[in-house]
Amino acid sequence: MIEITDLHKSFNGNAVLQGLNLSIPDGKITVIIGPSGCGKTVLLRHMIGLLQPDRGRVMVDRVNLSALDRVQMNAFRGRFGMLFQQAALFDSMNVFENVAFPLREHTQKTDGEIQKIVAEKLALVGLTGTETKMPSELSGGMRKRVGLARAIALQPKIILYDEPTTGLDPIMTEAIDNLILETQRKMNVTSVVISHDIPSSFRIADQISMVYKGRIVESGTAEAFRNSKHEAVQEFIRKGEGKG
Amino acid sequence: MTLLLKWIPFLNVPLELLGALGRWCRFVWAAVTWSFQPPYRWRSWFCQMQFIGVQSLPIIMLTGLFTGMVFALQTGKTFAIFKMQNLVGSTVALALAREIAPVFTALMVTARAGSAMAAEIGTMKVTEQIDALRTMAVDPLQYLVTPRVIACIFMVPLLTIVFNYIGCLGAYVVGTTLLDIPSGPFLRHLYWYLDPDDIFGGLIKAAVFGFFLATVSCYKGFRTEGGAEGVGRATTSAVVASSVTILVVDYFLTTWILEFFTSHRH
Repeated sequence: MIEITDLHKSFNGNAVLQGLNLSIPDGKITVIIGPSGCGKTVLLRHMIGLLQPDRGRVMVDRVNLSALDRVQMNAFRGRFGMLFQQAALFDSMNVFENVAFPLREHTQKTDGEIQKIVAEKLALVGLTGTETKMPSELSGGMRKRVGLARAIALQPKIILYDEPTTGLDPIMTEAIDNLILETQRKMNVTSVVISHDIPSSFRIADQISMVYKGRIVESGTAEAFRNSKHEAVQEFIRKGEGKG
Repeated sequence: MTLLLKWIPFLNVPLELLGALGRWCRFVWAAVTWSFQPPYRWRSWFCQMQFIGVQSLPIIMLTGLFTGMVFALQTGKTFAIFKMQNLVGSTVALALAREIAPVFTALMVTARAGSAMAAEIGTMKVTEQIDALRTMAVDPLQYLVTPRVIACIFMVPLLTIVFNYIGCLGAYVVGTTLLDIPSGPFLRHLYWYLDPDDIFGGLIKAAVFGFFLATVSCYKGFRTEGGAEGVGRATTSAVVASSVTILVVDYFLTTWILEFFTSHRH
């Protein structure tokens, strides 16, 4: 369970998060939506301790992230996997080395075992046979899928997705959505997806929360979210579905 | 404070420098503390040693050779006025060991490897690869900075030894062929005047320069903002800041080394 209470964050005097509260249930897919620049990614970065709150707290499995020192935080991050918006693959390593990286860093597995796990994760994301390719040789969608394979290599309990479908065509968007659902089903993880893609959000979410003006203005199941009375939510859904 | 800066604008520059120095000190402290914590990535350390040390050998040998040759030529022509050409070998060897070899080696490594460090880390910063390391529970300072700092501390002194040797060889070739200095007196004076302390003092300098060039270059990489332009700015800034730091630190180190290593000969 991720519990965010009264979260405040400013950059150079510009208040991005202004007392945000949010509960993210275990074993579900929670999609956080909102207009560009509203602080979705800032919120996600707080969940994994990449940013420290100015005020408020982020509790992950009853652990207050602000109370951890650098070494403890480093160890705590072992329970997370994160897929970045641009995948953030290490461009000096090929696909195999990228996916094998967390295994080599945090396990004592033999080369044979690592090869087996990497092949398994690449098969899960539909990229068997791409082991020797460099990130520069991959398309945007393929990079994201390799990023996901790397994120799940250590069987994390929580997976964070930062705009996984941004910049992808509708077919690839659907493929990534299916991948998120399949990963969720097979690994029973807690998934947090940052998105501004409304159809995709409705397709995959167990819970949808909307960030608006630095706060969560609506949070609930896809159905409850669709029936929200909040004006900003309705406008966002309307425009997101191309009806506005 | 803002009001004060508004009225006294010239305070901006020293305050910014002081702020940068403070941030660099914190960065160095964090990097040093991580160096002593496992895991120790030996493979990464040796890779960096190979890149910073072995791959810098050609440029260091070339620079050392021509520096020794030109220095022998200049001192030879001047010493000829006093008929003291036999001292060319010892003069060049002393200057190389104490000053020229460590400073030139550090400057060449800065230009070749320091710029690469800043550009590589800067690119990783702007493409979120450094954040990706953090999310995979790998500290970027330990993973990226520690191997580079350790490699520089070990390899810059080793390259300095090569610079010294090749520089002396260059001076010997010019001295014995162009300046007509007999080989015997050239080498005798060189051995007579050059002490192991001179070489050792130069190597200490080289190790310190290695530490500064690596930490300044990595720090500049970590502070990169923006896209390709930011990486370019960080790279330039890393080379300029490292070079200036090396020259400033050289003065203070020289004062200390002259006092403690060579004072017994005065």
